[in-house]
Amino acid sequence: MRFLELAKRNLKETYRDPLALGFLLGFPLVFMLLFGVMLSGDTISSSPIGVIDDDNTLVSQAFVDEALAGVPTLEVSSYDDAALARKDLQFGDLKAYIVIPQGFGEQVSQNWQGKEANITLQMTYDESDIMISEQLVSIINAVTRSFAHIEVPVTINANPIHMEAEITYINFIAPGIIIFGLLILIPTSARMIVLDKEKGFLSRLLTTPTRPWEFLLGYSLCLVAIAIAQIIIFMAVAWILGMNVVGSLWLAFLIFFLAGLCSIGIGMVVASLSKSENQSESLCWIFAMPLAMLSGCWFSIEMMPSYLRNVAYAFPYAHTIDASRAVLIRGVGMGAISHELLFLAGWTAGIFIIGVFLFRKSMRS
Amino acid sequence: MNSDTAQSARGKDEPFAIQTSQLTKKFNGLVAVDNIGLNIKKGELFALLGPNGAGKTTTINMLCCLLKPTGGTATIMGYDINQQPFEIKEKIGVSPQETFLSEHLNAREHLNLMGRIHNINAAELRSRSQELLKTMGLAERAKDQVRKFSGGMKRRLNIMMALIHDPEIVFLDEPTLGLDPQARRAIWEYIVQLKGKKTILLTTHYMDEADFLADRIGIMDDGKIAALGTSSELKMSILGEKTMIVYARNLTQKAISEMRSKYAEVEVNDGTMTITDKQLDFKEIVDQLHSSGAIIRSAYIKEPTLDDVFLHMTMKELRE
Repeated sequence: MRFLELAKRNLKETYRDPLALGFLLGFPLVFMLLFGVMLSGDTISSSPIGVIDDDNTLVSQAFVDEALAGVPTLEVSSYDDAALARKDLQFGDLKAYIVIPQGFGEQVSQNWQGKEANITLQMTYDESDIMISEQLVSIINAVTRSFAHIEVPVTINANPIHMEAEITYINFIAPGIIIFGLLILIPTSARMIVLDKEKGFLSRLLTTPTRPWEFLLGYSLCLVAIAIAQIIIFMAVAWILGMNVVGSLWLAFLIFFLAGLCSIGIGMVVASLSKSENQSESLCWIFAMPLAMLSGCWFSIEMMPSYLRNVAYAFPYAHTIDASRAVLIRGVGMGAISHELLFLAGWTAGIFIIGVFLFRKSMRS
Repeated sequence: MNSDTAQSARGKDEPFAIQTSQLTKKFNGLVAVDNIGLNIKKGELFALLGPNGAGKTTTINMLCCLLKPTGGTATIMGYDINQQPFEIKEKIGVSPQETFLSEHLNAREHLNLMGRIHNINAAELRSRSQELLKTMGLAERAKDQVRKFSGGMKRRLNIMMALIHDPEIVFLDEPTLGLDPQARRAIWEYIVQLKGKKTILLTTHYMDEADFLADRIGIMDDGKIAALGTSSELKMSILGEKTMIVYARNLTQKAISEMRSKYAEVEVNDGTMTITDKQLDFKEIVDQLHSSGAIIRSAYIKEPTLDDVFLHMTMKELRE
């Protein structure tokens, strides 16, 4: 198994070099901590929102009085009329208002009894304040879902819901930051190969009967180990900073893992195209930074013009962020993100095929 | 499987391990290797001798399937470099000119990596690397990462990596480049032990190295093979011209012009007279100079060296 021997060598070369190891694990860690601390400290101090309860059932009242009012960052006021709430929103007295439509109580009750029913809420919010509105949408979403998914209660009042209090901005931002960390695997992976190329060790190995795919697998296995370590560190840091995981950790891990694999593949393609470390480093960052921005690592891409959004969705990372957010903070299952997973897997497979093709070409000039 | 068997059978019958035919490599129009044809016998130690930039390394890189020829081809043990690179890579061991090593691996790990890549089993690998480390004097440093190694140690490991899998053909590209005389001698002694057991293609720009080690030498210049033969054949080829050196005092103008009238080339420089011609009579020259009043301190006929051969063939001095 030549590729195993190569992977072992690559790993030794990495973990015996404190500088390289520091860069691989330390840099993303510092980055994550910095972002996390910067953004997780407080949620919005307190956002006034209005509620118009058109349903007016016990369930909808419980939703307003228990679930929404239980979130410390929300200041809930009831309105009888949507027009009044709209006026307050325009004057800046409200950040958003929610209309609970008729039938809401019925829908939630059905969910409680195990029957699936769509729950609709109408939310109107101040678009100009992007950060706040993103948070509010995310918070209301989370509150509603946890409210609707709750086990059938004996009495509603006996089951006050407290978990929403922990919903902070880190929940929204963490998946993006983790994906940014995994985007950094592009230069990492390119660097590993280009250094061997530049220092000549690769050309020495090219005089052995090792096949192109064995080389790439050897590098990939080592990089996969690095990616797994990075994902664990990221998720741990996000957890420490207060990320509240609603969905399956394993599913989130799978999404991040595929994103990492994709970055490794892109790095390999870049390495095959470049002759020196300088060249590959510049190429990687030129590619990775705009992609991080486009994909919504730091802010939502909802406000981008549609053509830019289309560009973003041509690459796998925006899909990854959407999928991981859905799993981590909304608790969706594999079925709901199968489209994203397929896209990601397809991209990864494609980029590896291109990588092998280019590597084979660069083996002999 | 069948074609493999046929190939190796053909390989066995062939007397040549390496054959090149009109092998050419151009880089952006610049001809690095120009139409060379070489036949290297199995078990032969063949040296490509030439200055830097002559095309030696480019030739080796084409033969190890690292570079694609622009024209012509070559076969290694019957396999074509253009068609069957992986079959060739199974049979060769390469020690590149630069000591390309993995800085954070130790010497034994380097040998293990190369051995396992060539599917050598663990027990055999252990005994072979033990033996190589001992012979090359690196046994005590086997567990040290190579970034702590001296240039000479790296070069020895470089050669060991080419030999660990016991290849049939070994390419040694400038194996003693930049080493002190003692370390060079140690490597030479090891290479001499391999003579006859393996086919070795060695490149060097040290003429004493080629002279000492090689069965046959190809003098390479400007991408071409300028001369080819054993060391003595090459020296004989320029024996048509002899050179006599005379150290003397009292060399009169008359004596010098007498010499010039008799011999093709006579140079006098600070009491040293250098006489070159197809025929030189040692006794006659000494007698004649003596009778013209010169006091001869020493005189000898110079044996040609590979340096002279190189100078003669290429009109260039062979310098480092």
